Amino acid sequence: MTNNLQIPFGMGLNVTSYINSPNPVYSVGGIIAFAIIVAIIISIFGYIFGWLERKMIAKVQHRHGPTYVGKFGILQNFADLVKLLAKEDIIPDSAERTLYIIGLPLLVSVSIFLVLLLPFAPSLQATNFAFGILIIFVILSFTPILLFITAFSTSNKFADISAQRSVLILLSYELPMILAVAAVGIAAHGYNIASIISAQSNGIFAIFMPLGLAVLFITMLAELERPPFDLREADSELIAGWLTDMSAPYYALSLFLDYSRMLLGSLLITILFFGGWEGPLLPPIVWLLAKASVISIFIIIIRATTVRMRIDSILKFGWKWLLPLSLINLVIAYIIFA
Amino acid sequence: MAVTRINIGPVHPSTHGVLRLVADIDGDTVVDVQPHIGFLHRGVEKLVETRMFMQNPPYMEKLDYVSPMSYDEVYVAAVEAAMGVEVKERAQYIRVILLELQRIASHLLWIGTMCNDIGQMFTAFMWGFQDRDMVLNLLEEAAGGRMFYVNMRIGGMVRDLPPDFADHALGLMDYMEKRVKEYERYLERNPVFMERMKGVGVLSYDDAKNLGVTGPVLRASGVNFDARKNKAYYVYQKLHFSTQVQMAGDNLARYKVRMMEIRESIRLVREAIKALPDGDALGMPVKLILPAAKNRISIVSRELPRGECIMYLVADAQKPYRLSIRSPSFINLAALNFLAKGQRTADMFGIMGTLDLVMGCVDK
Amino acid sequence: MKIERELLKEKLAEMKKAGFDYLEKITAVDYSDHLDVIYLLENIEDGKEEIVEVTMPADDAWVPSVMKLFLAADWYEREMSEMFGINIVGRNAERLLLEKWDGKQPPLRKSFQWGMPYEEGAK
Repeated sequence: MTNNLQIPFGMGLNVTSYINSPNPVYSVGGIIAFAIIVAIIISIFGYIFGWLERKMIAKVQHRHGPTYVGKFGILQNFADLVKLLAKEDIIPDSAERTLYIIGLPLLVSVSIFLVLLLPFAPSLQATNFAFGILIIFVILSFTPILLFITAFSTSNKFADISAQRSVLILLSYELPMILAVAAVGIAAHGYNIASIISAQSNGIFAIFMPLGLAVLFITMLAELERPPFDLREADSELIAGWLTDMSAPYYALSLFLDYSRMLLGSLLITILFFGGWEGPLLPPIVWLLAKASVISIFIIIIRATTVRMRIDSILKFGWKWLLPLSLINLVIAYIIFA
Repeated sequence: MAVTRINIGPVHPSTHGVLRLVADIDGDTVVDVQPHIGFLHRGVEKLVETRMFMQNPPYMEKLDYVSPMSYDEVYVAAVEAAMGVEVKERAQYIRVILLELQRIASHLLWIGTMCNDIGQMFTAFMWGFQDRDMVLNLLEEAAGGRMFYVNMRIGGMVRDLPPDFADHALGLMDYMEKRVKEYERYLERNPVFMERMKGVGVLSYDDAKNLGVTGPVLRASGVNFDARKNKAYYVYQKLHFSTQVQMAGDNLARYKVRMMEIRESIRLVREAIKALPDGDALGMPVKLILPAAKNRISIVSRELPRGECIMYLVADAQKPYRLSIRSPSFINLAALNFLAKGQRTADMFGIMGTLDLVMGCVDK
Repeated sequence: MKIERELLKEKLAEMKKAGFDYLEKITAVDYSDHLDVIYLLENIEDGKEEIVEVTMPADDAWVPSVMKLFLAADWYEREMSEMFGINIVGRNAERLLLEKWDGKQPPLRKSFQWGMPYEEGAK
């Protein structure tokens, strides 16, 4: 009994050891604390990048972006959120009511769940599966199906086309993406996230496998449906794609979904190719989030510059270039690390 | 797969106004697309019959709100032809300068809207609008308005150019030359952009003539026709410029024709400003207009930014008895069904972007 | 040049062979007692323009369709038939070009009465 009581005070802020402690009270408490911390990280990251995206795209376009609410318009997104949540929630008569209501919240919870599976620092991680990274990618490839169901539930023709496109893109990028991850697995001799990060202490995988990084970055853009692969929400063609018949609160939710998925994608790239939390001086979590932020900024800049790809050229690009490149990368990884 | 019929518009991000398209789509391929027009129909052809000659230019300008001065000029030229009035030489030069500036402004706006249609996040759109704004500043100096000008009179202009207009215009042309290069670097080096433009919406030489398309769309299909050259008017014969022709007939060719036309316009403005003669440029005061002969027919053809505009004017003393306008956007839109059939849904909007439609011009 | 409407199709086909293969515009003018339909043809290589006029009585307005010769005629013919009440013979009756227009009273005829629907509504 005394032993159990002494552990937490000795551990200080180490959430991981709370979760791993044999006492179920501390374990559950640790998981709740972890979930709250991650929720705060997602919210702050999503909010700041929602604002940063508007500001950065405005800079590229020689505009000012939001300036009115708060210093540098930092509170503009909050004002928008209040406006969106205050609007009436209209559900079309022709919609599949149950799916319409639960579809988008389900998608958001899946993406948050995926972030919860990730470690943020040695002292801040909830799970430590042997095949952790594979589990994440398996669940990640399941999200377009959920999206498909949500889009069909609105029974709008634009949403239907958008959903079909979403699933079609899945065909082109899923295989190269998994192959790029497999190359990292070969290099790190395992799929445990912590061991992937520690394997990069002598040199990040981005140096050894630039091809793999390129393939993963491009496929991640497709997975997140960011430009040039934003066919799902092609606003000049499909108005708002799968969200055409959704009302304002759902739109706010979809924005949250977009940014939480952007955080997830950036974190995955950071962990797989940029050594995760490895770095001198600063605490691990700062390194991890700083690296992820740089990748997110790249994703935003791409949005400001490129035009949208067409569905057939994405399929062609996936099978003609990404798949061979990821196979070559696999061979390179095998030669260097095995 | 079953054919889905989707309704696009009349309010839609990329129909450039109030155009309704009813598209039959098989999977992601367009089977048939029928444009439904008339949401912006103001009956201008009927309206002008009730008003005196010089009461009508404001109506003409509202036909094409992207290049209003060009439309104004066609109408005034038609009235001049009906009366048999010769335009003063300095006024001819001023008209050429202003019309070419208007062409630059219109094409700059087109770059932006076209890039939006193929899915850019408003970057080229913003750049295009900012550069167009500078041209509008110049036009404001010359004509007093930013959007609508009404600065043509029978036989000349409402007012002469302001004294420092030439310097400002030449300075802007230097800037514009740099910007055109930047647009080309920015767009043509983007492989995704080239992929979306190359080989999409191909219109062959024979089809282009048969469909009667006009302007840059016609020239992109290899037809060497530019009303400024082939039906030379004003001082265009004396100035040096070349008709821009591309053989490919696809989206990229239409894009290139317009980019090169901006360059040619820059050249024309520079040359016309250098050659600007001294003298009087003012036209007849509105109240002193002579009556035109009864039932005299004048046909005037002008090259607008969007294509060749023909006005068929039957004069009746102080009023138009009948004014028939051949608007370039109208006939270019008629070619949409032909061009979009068998293309991807996304390309349908790209093709519509390169046709450069203005709904005011389509509906009349 | 002025020709009879019965001979229009042959004449235009002849001209198309002679190089006038670009139809610029089909338009009509209402001279109260008679209607003129005007075909503007262009030889793009030479830059020559040719005007073909067809005259018809106002109460018997029809012209043959030239859509088989020039695809450009499609929309011009539809526009003309709506605006002038001229029947286009030899092509399928299609939907009206302008949306929400009943097409009962041809608006560009000189006999068009302004403001009819509103006056009727006032009574």
